[in-house]
Amino acid sequence: MNSLTYEQVIDEIIKKNGSASLIVLLQEVQSHYRYLPEEAIVLLGKKLEVPLSKIFTLATFYRSFSLKPRGKNIIKVCLGTACHVKSGTNLFEKAQRDLSLSEEEMTTGDLTFTLEKVRCLGCCSLAPVVRINEDTYGSMTQEKLSKVLKCY
Amino acid sequence: MVNVGALERLKEEGMKSLFPSTTKIMVGMATCGLAAGAHEVWQLLTKEVAKSKTDAVLKKTGCIGLCQHEPLVDIIKPGYPRVTYDKVTPEKVGALLEGAAKGVFKKGIMARIDEEEFLLNGTHRRYSKGTLPSTLRSVVPYRRLPFYKKQMRIALRNCGSIDPENIAEYVAKGGYFSLAQVLREGKPEKVIDRIKASKLRGRGGAGFPTGVKWEVCCSAQGSERYLICNADEGDPGAYMDRSILEGDPHSIVEGMLVAAYAIGATRGYIYVRMEYPLAIERMNLALAQAGKEGLLGKDILGSGFDFEIEVCQGAGAFVCGEETALIQSIEGNWGEPRPRPPFPAVSGLWGKPTVINNVETYANVPVIVAKGARWFNGIGTSKSKGTKVFSLVGKVNNIGLVEVPMGISLKEIVFEIGGGIPQGRKFKAIQTGGPSGGCIPKDKMDLLVDFDQLTKAGSIMGSGGMIVMDDRTCMVDVAKYFLSFLEDESCGKCVPCRVGIRRMREIVEDITSGKGSEEDLDYLQHMAEAIKDGALCGLGKTAPNPVLTTLRYFREEYEAHINDKKCPAGVCKPLITYSIMQKKCTGCGACLKVCPQGAIEGKKKSPHQISVEKCIKCGACFEVCTFDAIIT
Amino acid sequence: MVKLTIDTRTVQVAEATTILEAAEKLGIYIPTLCHHESLKPYGGCRLCVVEITKNGRTDLTTSCTYKVEGGLKVKTDTERIRKVRQLVLELLLAEAPEAQGIKDLAQKMGIKESERLKAREHDLCILCGRCIRACREVVGVTAIDFAERGYVRKVASPFFKSSPDCIACGTCVYICPTGAITMQEVDEGQSAQVPGGNEIAGPARIIDNWKVGLAMKRCKKCGEIIAPEFQLEYLRKKVNLKEDHFDICPICRE
Repeated sequence: MNSLTYEQVIDEIIKKNGSASLIVLLQEVQSHYRYLPEEAIVLLGKKLEVPLSKIFTLATFYRSFSLKPRGKNIIKVCLGTACHVKSGTNLFEKAQRDLSLSEEEMTTGDLTFTLEKVRCLGCCSLAPVVRINEDTYGSMTQEKLSKVLKCY
Repeated sequence: MVNVGALERLKEEGMKSLFPSTTKIMVGMATCGLAAGAHEVWQLLTKEVAKSKTDAVLKKTGCIGLCQHEPLVDIIKPGYPRVTYDKVTPEKVGALLEGAAKGVFKKGIMARIDEEEFLLNGTHRRYSKGTLPSTLRSVVPYRRLPFYKKQMRIALRNCGSIDPENIAEYVAKGGYFSLAQVLREGKPEKVIDRIKASKLRGRGGAGFPTGVKWEVCCSAQGSERYLICNADEGDPGAYMDRSILEGDPHSIVEGMLVAAYAIGATRGYIYVRMEYPLAIERMNLALAQAGKEGLLGKDILGSGFDFEIEVCQGAGAFVCGEETALIQSIEGNWGEPRPRPPFPAVSGLWGKPTVINNVETYANVPVIVAKGARWFNGIGTSKSKGTKVFSLVGKVNNIGLVEVPMGISLKEIVFEIGGGIPQGRKFKAIQTGGPSGGCIPKDKMDLLVDFDQLTKAGSIMGSGGMIVMDDRTCMVDVAKYFLSFLEDESCGKCVPCRVGIRRMREIVEDITSGKGSEEDLDYLQHMAEAIKDGALCGLGKTAPNPVLTTLRYFREEYEAHINDKKCPAGVCKPLITYSIMQKKCTGCGACLKVCPQGAIEGKKKSPHQISVEKCIKCGACFEVCTFDAIIT
Repeated sequence: MVKLTIDTRTVQVAEATTILEAAEKLGIYIPTLCHHESLKPYGGCRLCVVEITKNGRTDLTTSCTYKVEGGLKVKTDTERIRKVRQLVLELLLAEAPEAQGIKDLAQKMGIKESERLKAREHDLCILCGRCIRACREVVGVTAIDFAERGYVRKVASPFFKSSPDCIACGTCVYICPTGAITMQEVDEGQSAQVPGGNEIAGPARIIDNWKVGLAMKRCKKCGEIIAPEFQLEYLRKKVNLKEDHFDICPICRE
């Protein structure tokens, strides 16, 4: 990932995705870099001849996009209604405490973890639920969460 | 000429796969199964089956609805009833397999099935032959379990009984034959008539008559038409669509094919929210399989009808579940709803006539084609035909997915199917319709659930999410929760929603912090009414509903927060203090260990105490106490 | 032609006319804010809502976006409408308490600020979107657009840095109803600071909000600003014009 220039990556993405929508292209860029680097999306706009302001709107409107580097492991604490009534917020705050994060800074300094709120993961029967990367954990407790985080 | 040779071949293949001559082991591998640990069970089973050198066959399946009992493993041993083991852990696998090999059925079986009839084609299969083994006599058949007794699975017909990654099994249960029937008849208008006659109404929440929508689109000007499946199930607490996408993706493909043929669309999109990666994976696989068998693409089954479907991934915006915002998203824009008229059926994707329907709506289509409109009319109420899938979650014993004929009462759903409230707590309210709905109190539980009845109580049926709340749920906190959710998800275009919801949330938050006043309640009412009328789209217009219903039915709770500065349910942090009941505390020290602030003191085997100054109200102690000694 | 009734008065208008336009024809006043005659209808502020009755059903809709239909019955001043307008202005007065445009509109409609809503400080933008729409639809450069969503939505230049596509035409400044966008004209011989950037020597124009400062070409004859220098230079080279071609503005050249 580090050996290719932004230009090479963008060219490849445009080539591979043909006439796909801008959102799909941005999803590809994010999938490659784990976030949307400014340089990359400026280049994307230039090559597609799309105003940069439009790309910036898309990047900031949709929650799945991040303009800041994200951690290797993405922790999603579900705060859907079923998880909320089962103290999902307490779980979220526990994760924040354990990782020394705050509302302003949701990625650990060493880029190991990014903490996100999500509503909802559709696992309501096992509330409260936490997803870390592709692993979904049901019936999560504060104690279990601390233990699970150590595995990553 | 329509050629069903491929279907007949797949049907035969599918029947062998559904009923092999050897023991079949099915593991529930939908997202909730996986979250409960099904993957480890699957891996262990794979290993053990290979080791034991039996010819047992291992299959994945979707969700049967009783999600709380996952991981679920079904054993189908030829000649014996089909049995389901629940809450299977890797430790239980050995005994389970041993029992399966010997035909001996151990403890831990949740239910059994003696015989099965396929909904679509009436194929009847008896699992057990001869007398019932004695060890199974005490095991209840599924249809007698309180959870399943009143259910009727139409949209969920295949979930939990087929391998969703196997198209042949879908075909064996009658799948794609409705499409073939429709293509053979060669009359798109007949399809529309049939759906109109069935009185099927959209299952996504709005409940618009599906047949009428298709008809409007069909008669709209223009030659290009599009079809969209709205799989952006954003209501928190609702996961009906996820289960269908993961457990029976082909039912959506077939439903869309029938719809596309009826309206004359050549291209379809399934817009799935990105929070459902397994659903996206299974849907893409299903599309590839269907394409390979000539069920998608050009000249489908030799009929001359062309149709392509593409999966579009959401990017994290609840508002994209609103049809015009969804269209914007597919077009590569941000999800800002458009004013209606024009309606999508007339001017939708790229300005062309477009039909958008929900996942569950499409899942019903092949069944209506196969069994007829009159059959469908026989289910449900006069204005709400058919069944509806609900996700029954929250503070209820039997958490899971429930599909029932419309017209059942809320009481039956919560107390019979749901099995009542756990831990001896009291029922307080049921929240229906997601953020667009409202909270319904105990004295309204006789209301029948359909598209229209719940509006009498100020709520809606919505997409089917039902969250049960007990006496430890604060209704003011619930109102705050929904307002925060919508504040986060508002697109920001119109003033009533963008600013109004935020300001309402600030006022409700003041109330939960003990800073509210009696006048606030009147102002909230004023704001709610104006937002309902003034907002641009459904998100904004229905946003005040949770506040309006909680004000209507739980005003005393608001007043307690305002006048007494108390939260009766013990939830709102600024108004509660954690303390330990000296009589119940055994001094086990579990809470002391987990307190992040060192706020708990006490000697071993003596009642402990919480220091109010140090306590940050994180709830860790409450979580670990097994003596119910911690109160707020 | 389409015939409809507005406040019990009938009017006949061409198809594709909006209710707002039809009402104007009858001299009926409907308040607007995000609407502008040179821009496509937006329907964002909701002030222009009216009650329409069609097939026995009554709904509220924005009159700026709704195209007339035969037999439509419209009411422009009912209790429901007044409540919506009252809330919208109460909210906007709290959002931008210093915006004279909003204060004037509220006063005209007899609406006062709400005591319950704490005023936001020092922000004149009410997110009506006129600047963005003008930049996109009229000027055609889309130098600015919305960033974020919901309450925290802002009108922004990309990355909140200097907008690379802005041509400092000043249309956004002109069309903003609250004066939230400011511009500096830098005369020849003077210089000024571009926000977030360097000093720029006149003749130049600075659009503060988008952190843009562009050297402008002035007409040697009438002294009016023609266009940004970089644009004219680009054109001149592309079409191979003489060096002094753009020294005189098009009006003076005639």
